Amino acid sequence: MSDTDVKHLTPYDEPYEAERAPFLWLAEREVLRFLNIGPYAIAGPVLSTILFVIVFGSALGHRVAPIDGVAYGQYIVPGLLAQAILTVGFVNGTTSLFEARRDKYINDVFASPLRWWEINAALVTGGVVRGFIVGAGVLAIAVPLTGTAFVARPFIFVLGTLAVLLVAGQVGVIAGSLAKSLDHVYSMESIVLLPLGFLGGVFYSVAQLPHVWDVLSRINPVFWLVQVERIGLLGQADVGAAPALVVVWALAAALSVWSAIIFGTNRLKA
Amino acid sequence: MRETPPALSITGLRKVYRDGVTAIENLDLELADGAFFGLLGPNGAGKTTLIGAVSNVIRPSAGDLTVFGHDYRTRSARRLIGLAEQDINVDRFLSVRQLLVYHAGYHGIGRKTAARRADELLETFGLGHKAEGRAYELSGGMQRRLVLARALIHHPRLLILDEPTAGVDVALRSEIWRLVKGLNAAGTTILLTTHYLHEAETLCDEIALIAAGRIVDRGSAASLRHRYQARDISEVYDRVMTAEAAS
Repeated sequence: MSDTDVKHLTPYDEPYEAERAPFLWLAEREVLRFLNIGPYAIAGPVLSTILFVIVFGSALGHRVAPIDGVAYGQYIVPGLLAQAILTVGFVNGTTSLFEARRDKYINDVFASPLRWWEINAALVTGGVVRGFIVGAGVLAIAVPLTGTAFVARPFIFVLGTLAVLLVAGQVGVIAGSLAKSLDHVYSMESIVLLPLGFLGGVFYSVAQLPHVWDVLSRINPVFWLVQVERIGLLGQADVGAAPALVVVWALAAALSVWSAIIFGTNRLKA
Repeated sequence: MRETPPALSITGLRKVYRDGVTAIENLDLELADGAFFGLLGPNGAGKTTLIGAVSNVIRPSAGDLTVFGHDYRTRSARRLIGLAEQDINVDRFLSVRQLLVYHAGYHGIGRKTAARRADELLETFGLGHKAEGRAYELSGGMQRRLVLARALIHHPRLLILDEPTAGVDVALRSEIWRLVKGLNAAGTTILLTTHYLHEAETLCDEIALIAAGRIVDRGSAASLRHRYQARDISEVYDRVMTAEAAS
């Protein structure tokens, strides 16, 4: 090691001024993190979603009667899109935050001038950007593959998808902050996320279910994410556009508050 | 002329972990600007908890902490602290160079300056040829150097070193001490924990002995030796810790 230059110690009596916002650095790091593992982070979720479209939509779909006048292959695309975004947001948040906690490099962030809400927002941004890229990839392949008439109601689609991305990003960050082990992360995915996804009306209309299941499905948050995407892409679903938007944004707001409480009250610190 | 505030001032620090363990009990400590301060104590004495609290990594249960007069939680305080933890806690998703650049970024440093400083430190610490590799691919000694480089990239005034020579060979240990001495000579305040008592005696101008979350005694190496009628700081340490264990 050669001698290091320490002539310019940071002055202690000048107000803190950033040349570039620390938030931008951390948000950039979050995006770089998943881009560095690109094939797994992006191509994997797109491929697995497209396999559902091919198997259930293209291969088996012609044996299933259209639902609400929509071919089955097209009918499942919005739900698969919502599920893909949600899964990616969950995986992104848990991987990034849980591993940062486990390996203690989150201490590097806590010890820096980053404020709690900047750390929270940057982590969520990573999940949102990854969800956006995967969602765009899914649509880019699934829409031509199934012949879906792209985006029947653009306003609902944009507003709804923003909420879905935010929900997914927050779910990942919350799960990443609650997880105590990798097994815990995997079990959250298989015991909570996967059943909610499958029972959330991705592959069917709840109107086809007995009344009690129709009602119960509405308690499932994933149901509303699927509905809002279906309204945006296909123009109709089991619920109206206004209640769907209200519920998904209320969900996004509630999760944002939960996530903010975790970071704002320093619960990630010992 | 305005007097420089203490580099670190701690009053009534207390830390009780969620499991009920009290790691620090009503601890007061003040470090003058430019000090080379050694914190000695057995494992579990509270050294890492104290460092964690100062660095905003651990939530204190009670107490006031200021860094150069700023509350320790403020951005003004946090930009002044450089932390090299005992664990090799490096971001495994980034390259060695990116790790330094992004750490500088978390302190608000612009991209060009961050890149320049990262390259300088990589050369200084002999890591230039490993810049594009991942930290987990480095040897233990190189990882230790990287953690030190990261702690220095934002030019901190208060450098906190928690066992900086744990697990490194003799040659690297002496290199690290030489570097740290140079930093202190140039004005950086050093807060050091180490199990190498002889080196603490040689390097530090003040030493505190910590046990069971309390500072049991403190002073210059010479004053401690005199007080305990001991030949060296190891003997002081043994006497203090034996008395603490018996009490």
